[in-house]
Amino acid sequence: MIGRIWAIALNTFREAARIRVLYGILVLVVGANLLAVVLGEMVTNEQARVARDVGITGISLFGSLTAIFLGVFLLYTEVQRRTIHAIVAKPIERWEFVVGKYLGMVLVLTVLVALFAVAMVAMLLIQDFGVSTAVLKAVVLAWFEVLTVAAIAIFFSSFSTPFMSGIFALAMWGFGRVTPDIEAASRDAAPWIRTLTKITLEIVPDLHLFAVSGRSIDGEHVSVHADLVSWGYVAMASLHGLGWIVGLLAFAALLFHRRDFV
Amino acid sequence: MADLAIDVRDLTKTYRTPLARRKVEALRGVTFSVERGHIFGFVGPNGAGKTTAIRTLMGLIRPTSGSARILGHTIPSREARFKVGFLPEAPYFYDYLTVGELLDLAGRLFGLSASVRKQRAGQLIARVGLERAQSQSLKKFSKGMLQRAGLAQALMNDPELVVLDEPMSGLDPIGRKEVRDLIVELRDQGKTVFFSTHILTDVEAITDQVAIIARGQLQAHGTPYELVKRTILGIDVMIRLPAEGEPGDLTTGADRVRRHGDELSLTLPADADVDAWIARAHAAGAKIVQVSPRHETLEDLFLREVASADAPKEART
Repeated sequence: MIGRIWAIALNTFREAARIRVLYGILVLVVGANLLAVVLGEMVTNEQARVARDVGITGISLFGSLTAIFLGVFLLYTEVQRRTIHAIVAKPIERWEFVVGKYLGMVLVLTVLVALFAVAMVAMLLIQDFGVSTAVLKAVVLAWFEVLTVAAIAIFFSSFSTPFMSGIFALAMWGFGRVTPDIEAASRDAAPWIRTLTKITLEIVPDLHLFAVSGRSIDGEHVSVHADLVSWGYVAMASLHGLGWIVGLLAFAALLFHRRDFV
Repeated sequence: MADLAIDVRDLTKTYRTPLARRKVEALRGVTFSVERGHIFGFVGPNGAGKTTAIRTLMGLIRPTSGSARILGHTIPSREARFKVGFLPEAPYFYDYLTVGELLDLAGRLFGLSASVRKQRAGQLIARVGLERAQSQSLKKFSKGMLQRAGLAQALMNDPELVVLDEPMSGLDPIGRKEVRDLIVELRDQGKTVFFSTHILTDVEAITDQVAIIARGQLQAHGTPYELVKRTILGIDVMIRLPAEGEPGDLTTGADRVRRHGDELSLTLPADADVDAWIARAHAAGAKIVQVSPRHETLEDLFLREVASADAPKEART
């Protein structure tokens, strides 16, 4: 089982590494870090905070967009190009194939997030801002957010076209990012809106957990400029992400299992 | 049951169009069986249901009703897939891989060790004649080369049953002969080969059993000898006429009359008095070159069965 999943994962990594758009995104991330330097100069005494916040936001934003892009295309193209026909006719279970595709994406996204982080750290060091464990924690959180978004995208891709999957995944990502704001906005709304919001928040991963810099956590303002959150919080948020990843992949595998490959 | 490689019972597959929800019956109660160690030709015109049947057998499509067993296992069966090699129709593989990498991936999915993968890949690449293209990515392969690579990956697990969907498609006459030879070689090794095609000469040349499918229904199933009518349809005759000679009344009542120089070929009706006709030919100064009975061919059978499958539709329109 492990061997088959690993074979699909490695092949997916090779396939994704050939997508030139990813190299363009890498350039954009470096550009975002350079932009952070310029923006920092415009804000007196806040250069370090701006550089770190923009760097982390860049990882989260571009990482998540890349995850959606890869998630909606990699599984779909297997079916559309019929490369899957020769694969699933071999003794591999369909859930193993879905997990293998996801793990291949995890490899690609991990490399990308690592490169994004290296670019950000390089910028911070060049400007003599220093790199604290707060930055490391923020990168780990952003990495888990990206992996969760990848699972969202692959879930939609298991039964929908890339366009629709992209729309759904983007909507879920955007919604998941602002869960506290939506909750707060619905407090004074009609009861049925509050109920609807509550149900919706239950079926959307709370991606806000992963983007904590500049926000209030347990009544305290946290920022990559200072201590940020504890490692315990990072572990809790990561487990939340892991739970969603396992759940989404299970549903994706179930839907994929029922599909006809015509 | 034990000596059957494939046993299909009353298999149906019905699709519904996305918006209109109109029913499309791709397979309508298909029943047939394939004996182990045989070459089985699955014949039908385009859109007959060949590929749907094969994809159902290989677990790519779920049947609407009916059942099928492969090597004793009810489909879909992972155990059976360990013993089956499959070449899809118009195969498309990961075009960034070389043929060696494609075979390695296939070997990994069968759980083969690295040494076995390497050894088998080398042997199969040589067997399908792709040694010179080993360093090229599949993107640079011609259709025929892709077909060969597809055949190689289908054999990576040394399968008991080989299922080939249109294996001769895209191949030139030499390539087709090589694939035919390979299929016969696999049968001689004790393997069962099930292949679909609409090229009847290939079927006649190598198959032990044939099934004809049209409009999702099996029209005929058996050995080529059993299927074609053994009754005489006519008498093929070839004579050599004397110099400047004319056939005269020798062609009266004959069919397929062709003349090339002094050679005359024609087909007499099945009930013709051949002795009397030969006597008349001798009297006209002709020499008899060949006299042979004409039996029904697989092509005749195929055209007849497909026409009969189409008949209800024509009657409606």
